[in-house]
Amino acid sequence: MSHVRLIDIDKYYGSYHALKSVNLTVDKGEFIVMVGPSGCGKSTTLKSIAGLEAISSGEIWINGRNVTREEPGDRGIAMVFQSYALYPHMTVAENMGFGLKMAKRPQAEIDVAVKRAAEILRITDQLDKRPKELSGGQRQRVAIGRAITRSPEVFLFDEPLSNLDAALRTQMRVELTTLHQQLGSTMIYVTHDQVEAMTMASRIVVFNKGVIEQQGAPLELYHNPVNQFVAGFLGAPRINFVAATLVNLRDGVAEVALEGASTVHVPVADTAGLTNGAKLTLGVRPEALKIGDVPDAALSFDAQVRLVEQLGRETVLYVDAGPLAAIGSESGTHNFTVQLGTAAPYAAGQSIKVSARAADLYLFAPDGKAVNRPKLIAASL
Amino acid sequence: MSELWKRHRNWLAPLLFIAPGALLFGTIIIASSFESVWISFFDWDGVGPKTWAGLANYRELFADPQFYVSLKNNVIWLVMFMAAPPLGLALALLVNQQVAGMRFLKSLFFIPLVLATVTVGVVFGWVYDPNYGLLALIFNLFGATAPALLADEHAVTFAVVVAALWPQIAFCMVLFLAGLNNLSPDIIGAGRVDGARGWNMLWHVVLPQLRQVGFIALAVTVVGALRSFDMIAVMTSGGPFGSSEVLAYQMYEQSIFSYRFGYGAAIATVLFAIMIVFITWYLRMMVRLEKETR
Repeated sequence: MSHVRLIDIDKYYGSYHALKSVNLTVDKGEFIVMVGPSGCGKSTTLKSIAGLEAISSGEIWINGRNVTREEPGDRGIAMVFQSYALYPHMTVAENMGFGLKMAKRPQAEIDVAVKRAAEILRITDQLDKRPKELSGGQRQRVAIGRAITRSPEVFLFDEPLSNLDAALRTQMRVELTTLHQQLGSTMIYVTHDQVEAMTMASRIVVFNKGVIEQQGAPLELYHNPVNQFVAGFLGAPRINFVAATLVNLRDGVAEVALEGASTVHVPVADTAGLTNGAKLTLGVRPEALKIGDVPDAALSFDAQVRLVEQLGRETVLYVDAGPLAAIGSESGTHNFTVQLGTAAPYAAGQSIKVSARAADLYLFAPDGKAVNRPKLIAASL
Repeated sequence: MSELWKRHRNWLAPLLFIAPGALLFGTIIIASSFESVWISFFDWDGVGPKTWAGLANYRELFADPQFYVSLKNNVIWLVMFMAAPPLGLALALLVNQQVAGMRFLKSLFFIPLVLATVTVGVVFGWVYDPNYGLLALIFNLFGATAPALLADEHAVTFAVVVAALWPQIAFCMVLFLAGLNNLSPDIIGAGRVDGARGWNMLWHVVLPQLRQVGFIALAVTVVGALRSFDMIAVMTSGGPFGSSEVLAYQMYEQSIFSYRFGYGAAIATVLFAIMIVFITWYLRMMVRLEKETR
């Protein structure tokens, strides 16, 4: 059953078109993560759901009610802000109970709700403190507790972990996922961090320039991006892109020429608009690149190791393939990124051969649309 | 030399930067204050030799009926000036609305701030003129005769304070506008999500965040009321019969016009003592506030 529905949402800031006909349906109990680069419209969408931003046109439905014209406090939502946005003059308990107090609930009921939320978040011993006495992580817990206390239909999170340090971020990520399982509430979460998106979401919605590029389960998006933007946005280290020219298209197999490497054959599903000579983009994820000869390699090239990052359980190599230049690479150069699932004894300056199988290659049309949708989930495991 | 500088610059550099200010402040404020207190123990016309008078100036002052008139007027100033922060806040909330034409309205409210106090005094002097002033016009409209406010010993102080309130309210408004601009939009958003609106939003979310600014507005207003002087000088010269004088004006009048610097200094010392009480209270509140928030 749909719990939150956005119907043809448009938002203008003056003449700037921030949201372009956004449609989104969220089911009860889903954990939706909206991702995208800065200014893509994800936060604007969240604030529109909250009612903190007025939309220019369209409708917002929450729990079967049209709330487009309703005040934030009447929408049955609770929001957690990146800046925590705790009331500095109130104690933790007062902060958490403020929503219920505004709803004129009896103090006894407020106390029970606050206590219950505090127990879930293990901040019972902080209830009498003021926000400034708390650490960043504790403050964010209070902000989440304030949301829980209101027992809303929908939780909205606006980059809640961005202000925390890396270790705390990982911990809170796990806690939020656990909280979602525990409460079973609908949650909509905005982040620019694709690791948060991949790990927390039951469904990821990728925004770019005010439109939804793609939505689906994390692995679905990871393996079957509909376009070059989604492929480039999800995955760390980033996918390698390289310019390719279509030389021949026959029997659902595209033959593409690369600068400085032998011709590559890639199976394609969607051949619409592809003509010989078209400037395409070939994509291959860092973990799909293997070192040495691979039995059925479709792509292979010689390269020199420029930089090695030993992460213990895995190794990331930045390799220079000479004339075969990666576009918009992780390291800001034309180097390819290779991710090995082991601690591998490579050193800078070493010459290696890099290969990838045809099933691991993505091909994008000049307009960025993916022309092959390799069902890689089973194949690559 | 450079080795010496490197080793000591952590305390030398701040010292060098503070020194000019500290020197000026020490000479003009601190030393002068002590000097004033010292002078108040003398009989002195400002030029000739000083004669030690002990506490005679104070004895005379506390027996002087004019001192009590001035003190009472100071209290009137102080009480009436307390209207400036809330009215300034109300105006700030009003002109802070996002409505077309508000910017123009805002600039109108700024006007008394850019006027010199003397100008405000002169303008209000005209407004109060019982023959052709604005007040007279309004009274004539209803067929009544306007009272000569500045010539009435019971009304004069109130009339002057109303004139002085005009720029004071505008000043408080500017302070509160700055405070409103500094409000965290996220906290306001959190308040809206929590269902606070209208009066609740103002009382529970906005006002607590304006406490610091409110304190500054209050302090500036109290100090403004206690040292009120220029408005009186321009509008009434303390008259009629000294009925609109305050301590600061009486001090000026005694020292400059009556050549009684010792007596004037005694008035200044009393005024200083009153201010000290307020400033002590203010600093204590300020420190407490700092501890509570942030």
